[in-house]
Amino acid sequence: MNTLTQTLPSTAPASEASSFGTKLQQWLAPSRAIGFLLPAGVLLLWQTAASLAWIDPVFLPAPIKVVEAFFKMLTEQKLLWDFTISLALVSQGFLYGAFAALVLGVAAGLSKRFEQFLSPTFDTIRHIPGIAWFPLIVLWLGLGAPAKILVIAKTVFFPVFLNTLQGIRSVDKSYIELAEVMTLTRWQLVRKIILPAATPTIMVSLRYAAGLAWALVVVAEGLSGLEGLGFLIFRAQGLLLTDQLLVCMVIIGLVGFGIDRTMYLLQRRVLRWKQGFEG
Amino acid sequence: MAEPGRLEVKAVSKSYSAPGRARVDALVNASFNVEPGAFVTLVGPSGCGKSTLLRLILGLDKDYDGDILLHGERIAGTSLSRGIVFQDHRLLPWMTLEQNIGLALTNSTLSPEQQRRTIQSHIELVGLQGFEKAYPHELSGGMAQRGAIARGLVGQPEILLLDEPLGALDALTRVRLQEELLRIWRAEGVTMILVTHDVDEAIFLSDTVIVMNANPGRIVKQVKVDLPPGPRDRVSTEFAALKREILVAMGEVVSHAAPQAVEA
Repeated sequence: MNTLTQTLPSTAPASEASSFGTKLQQWLAPSRAIGFLLPAGVLLLWQTAASLAWIDPVFLPAPIKVVEAFFKMLTEQKLLWDFTISLALVSQGFLYGAFAALVLGVAAGLSKRFEQFLSPTFDTIRHIPGIAWFPLIVLWLGLGAPAKILVIAKTVFFPVFLNTLQGIRSVDKSYIELAEVMTLTRWQLVRKIILPAATPTIMVSLRYAAGLAWALVVVAEGLSGLEGLGFLIFRAQGLLLTDQLLVCMVIIGLVGFGIDRTMYLLQRRVLRWKQGFEG
Repeated sequence: MAEPGRLEVKAVSKSYSAPGRARVDALVNASFNVEPGAFVTLVGPSGCGKSTLLRLILGLDKDYDGDILLHGERIAGTSLSRGIVFQDHRLLPWMTLEQNIGLALTNSTLSPEQQRRTIQSHIELVGLQGFEKAYPHELSGGMAQRGAIARGLVGQPEILLLDEPLGALDALTRVRLQEELLRIWRAEGVTMILVTHDVDEAIFLSDTVIVMNANPGRIVKQVKVDLPPGPRDRVSTEFAALKREILVAMGEVVSHAAPQAVEA
């Protein structure tokens, strides 16, 4: 018996229990600081360009002006409201799109016939970009939220659908054989083997789709309606309020970053059984 | 445990044919019997049909000529009465060790409490206590294979089939696990059928060695291992004589120097 001399590698499940505090510490560790070098450099360049008046302040206000504009929008205008509107649109579009994609993707993955039934239609629709659908959808559903949610859902749908299908189809055949040996029923096979095996592929597509959805909401709000970050950005352009325009851009970037990190952490959590190349 | 039954393999042949390619006779006219509680090894070079035969006994492939009978009934599909350990441990990476072992009990009639207890006792049987919640990537190759053995045994099958279970392990781990397998075999009283290409392993573990050869895949000899009781000495003269006899039957050694050894 040699097990007594063997110990678990450091990736033991115990690390899961680490508190929020230690996680925050890890996140702010010096090794992470390298990621902040580039933004700091850009900020410095921006400040220099503004101070030395390389560019007309109308087109590039100083960073501090942008911060002032941010507080002004927050207190005197309803930035928080517009922000909430955009976030709500994206969340709904993402949820509906991802849910439909998972259901249909699993069904198509399990049934070759169902896939053959869907694929010619889907492969055509998929190539018409969400933005090209938008005018028609607005004609049908009006300028309100439903049209935007629908177009975001469409954009989320296809990457998730295709990856779910692909994830299911690439489950290792030896696992299917194992299920047969264990006399699992079809449903047990799907629940215990096929879905977990497809999860890594599905998680990647969800993360990718979340990014797409957030980028699209800005465009959709810019094209129709009178609220949301996308509307603000186009209005700011029209009124030559470059500081407000930059505020919106920075918010969009930071929220996108936040969405991606959240999805990444979710992915790590769901796939904690998986060990890959860590770079 | 289900009452161990006699396994009868009667004139079993299996061939594969693909359009545009010559028919491959993976196995021709194989016959042998396995008594309840025996340890039988199928040994032979690659392509001799030993793994094919194991898959047929397991019930993964129902399309063959001849009969494979257990309790006098033809095997029709997989069953919890026959456990398997594959060469790759095939533990599911998203399940912990105990969940992996429990997978074999998914459709068993045991109550959840009985299941929990039998899973724990099998984890102890293979010496993996303390690793119940570990994921497969946290286990070494040898530990993972122990886990696979526990999974093969947890449903308390009458026959445990082992498809080169130690083939992917390093030499030292391999020798240790061979001794473990013997201990488990004695403790559980389960019939074991092992497939290997390692002649030493075959003689060390089993009481009957079935020697196979390729082109076409067939059984060429059955050798009874009549070594003195107790741990088998891998370097004794008797051991070496048996090894020579088996290698000769496989056509790996020219027979002129072969002393005649025990024959079944």
